[in-house]
Amino acid sequence: MQNKFKTIIFTSAILLLPGLQFGQKPTASDIMDRVDKVINGPLDQKITMELKLIDRNGDEKIREIVMYQKGNNKRMTKFLAPADQRGIGFLSLPNGKMYLYLPAFQKVRRIAGHIKNNRFAGTDMTYEDMEAINYNEKWQPELLEDNNDYYILQLKPKENIKTGYGSLKIWVLKDKFFPTRIEYYNKKNKLIKILTREAIEKIDGCWIARKSTMENLKTKHTTVISIKDAKFNSGLSDNIFTKRYLKR
Amino acid sequence: MKHFIAIILGMGLISLAQGAKIDWNGYLQTDNRLQLINDYDFSWREYRLNLTAELKPFNRAHFYTNFWFRSLGFPSVKNSADLGNRDKLSPFDMELRSAYIDLYGFLLKNIDLRIGRQRIAWGSGDKVNPTDNVNPNDLEDIWDYGRHLSSDGVCASIYLGNYTLNAIFIPIFTPGVLPTGEWKNALVPAIDLPAGLEPGEITDSVILPENNLKNSSKFGLKLGNTVFGYDISLSYLYGRDDLPISQKLIFSPDPTTGKVNLRSELFYPHMHIFGADAAGAIGDVGIWSELAIYYPEKVTQRMDLSQLGMGITDSVILDNSIYARYLLGADYTFKNGFYINIQYLHGFTGERGADNLEDYLFIGSEYSFFGDRIKISPLNSSLEIKDFKDRKNNLAFVYAPQISYQPMDNARITIGTRIIQGGSNTKFGKISDNKELLFQVRYNF
Repeated sequence: MQNKFKTIIFTSAILLLPGLQFGQKPTASDIMDRVDKVINGPLDQKITMELKLIDRNGDEKIREIVMYQKGNNKRMTKFLAPADQRGIGFLSLPNGKMYLYLPAFQKVRRIAGHIKNNRFAGTDMTYEDMEAINYNEKWQPELLEDNNDYYILQLKPKENIKTGYGSLKIWVLKDKFFPTRIEYYNKKNKLIKILTREAIEKIDGCWIARKSTMENLKTKHTTVISIKDAKFNSGLSDNIFTKRYLKR
Repeated sequence: MKHFIAIILGMGLISLAQGAKIDWNGYLQTDNRLQLINDYDFSWREYRLNLTAELKPFNRAHFYTNFWFRSLGFPSVKNSADLGNRDKLSPFDMELRSAYIDLYGFLLKNIDLRIGRQRIAWGSGDKVNPTDNVNPNDLEDIWDYGRHLSSDGVCASIYLGNYTLNAIFIPIFTPGVLPTGEWKNALVPAIDLPAGLEPGEITDSVILPENNLKNSSKFGLKLGNTVFGYDISLSYLYGRDDLPISQKLIFSPDPTTGKVNLRSELFYPHMHIFGADAAGAIGDVGIWSELAIYYPEKVTQRMDLSQLGMGITDSVILDNSIYARYLLGADYTFKNGFYINIQYLHGFTGERGADNLEDYLFIGSEYSFFGDRIKISPLNSSLEIKDFKDRKNNLAFVYAPQISYQPMDNARITIGTRIIQGGSNTKFGKISDNKELLFQVRYNF
């Protein structure tokens, strides 16, 4: 009953958003606002995922991680496999503060923003890609196409925003406001990576893609992310997102 | 071996009683090195099985043990009787590196307690840490710089808002491990004999402190917080330095050789160490710094030349006045993935007294390609500057590039070299004959 009530309130709020009233076409900014609400909807999340890294010869490597997230600016990632990475922890906090825990040294180290442009754990995602994102805060959207199924938008970085990309092209499912394809362009406007999301389903009232594939067009390397377990809005404690917990 | 069996048996019983699972992991590493001079002598041979067992019997407790099973060194057979001694044929040792229990939320929700043999790593630097003085140095393998022994003690971590207070107590003193061979000579200051005397046999004895609270204990406090975006901590430590200093030198004539024998008496001085460290970023560049201010006890060295008819002299070799060792470091990753790390250090491990501290520059680098299968460290090097004014005789460098290949997950093969060049006055210069090629294989499980 309570959930139904929440749904009615949420739906009403969405309908009352500027530019989304009946009979009026949403602007690019309205669409990305909806996207932000969908992808950042959960108050918190705990996701266990398998990362399959496939190189140009078809050789595969498997990583397994568990990721905790609260809001859109606190995230903790711990490696479960393989053995040489098990126990490595990564903590991302507001204002760009990041920490790395390496079990071999039993020490938490502060890491700086230079790591953002680098690949996360050998995957095709950079640390920037792995950050929780609020598109409307960081990107200036422009609606390129509005077809039966998708809104297709181009996103360019807002002024004073640091990013490794020149622009993004994003496909948003009209019925779910969930992005299912993102093309990443470098600063010379060359397409470098493509992210596709499949098997989109609702868990605990939140949309999630069971399978995501990031393809690096330059290196011909691909990362396939499969969600093994996902829990949303379970009331994760703030204590998880601390250096104290990172060491455990 | 008894330690290993006892601890694992204990953990097994707890695991059975609590229904929790023991998590085993570790690695096997082989490390062989040969010198790049003359007959290409092998200089290092180590086969190490690192075995870690962890158990979480319930949410608020955590057991952790780490063992090294090693075959280190070469056969040392001297006679036929030794051929029946396996230790002489293939030296083997087992070491309990860590064994502790964590109690989370001990007494109060914001207190964690760690009891047992543990590594307490202080400081924000990368392997080079002037403020990391809780555990004894383990300089057995100088190329694995930054390695420490664990200590038997208690560490309480108290979390008060954004503040973290660490309080440590280590009741029993454990000396640091010194390197062997030429590296030992490089770290220990040379003794100048009176003119005209030729050195003969050199022996020493080590005076360990008495095992009581006053003489062998170490305690410390560290308070950390974030200020203006920088992680800052202040620390204080009182205990004995884990590297020895000579307090007595006795010279005696050797009637058979005509040389002068030397017997040295070594002990471990008490020190107060005040520390501060910070880590943060300027733009996207990571930066860190450490400052350790030492206030040692006064050490007077007695030089006994009475057997040579030259009397006894006392001189202060470590004054009870403060001196500071410090570190400044920065790192950056370029857009192509090339990582570089530069650290400047004033005062190396074992250097004591304001007049004896030298300057060092350490450079680390890493670049991976072919999907992380190949990793190179082309710029790894160290520079020693003993005296800026006379750089010709007082500069030395070590160049240590490496390349590693990962044929499959968890396995890595590394090949590297160490080229050392420098003036004979310098630490690195003293071991400049130790140009090496290394070959390591590691498999994690």
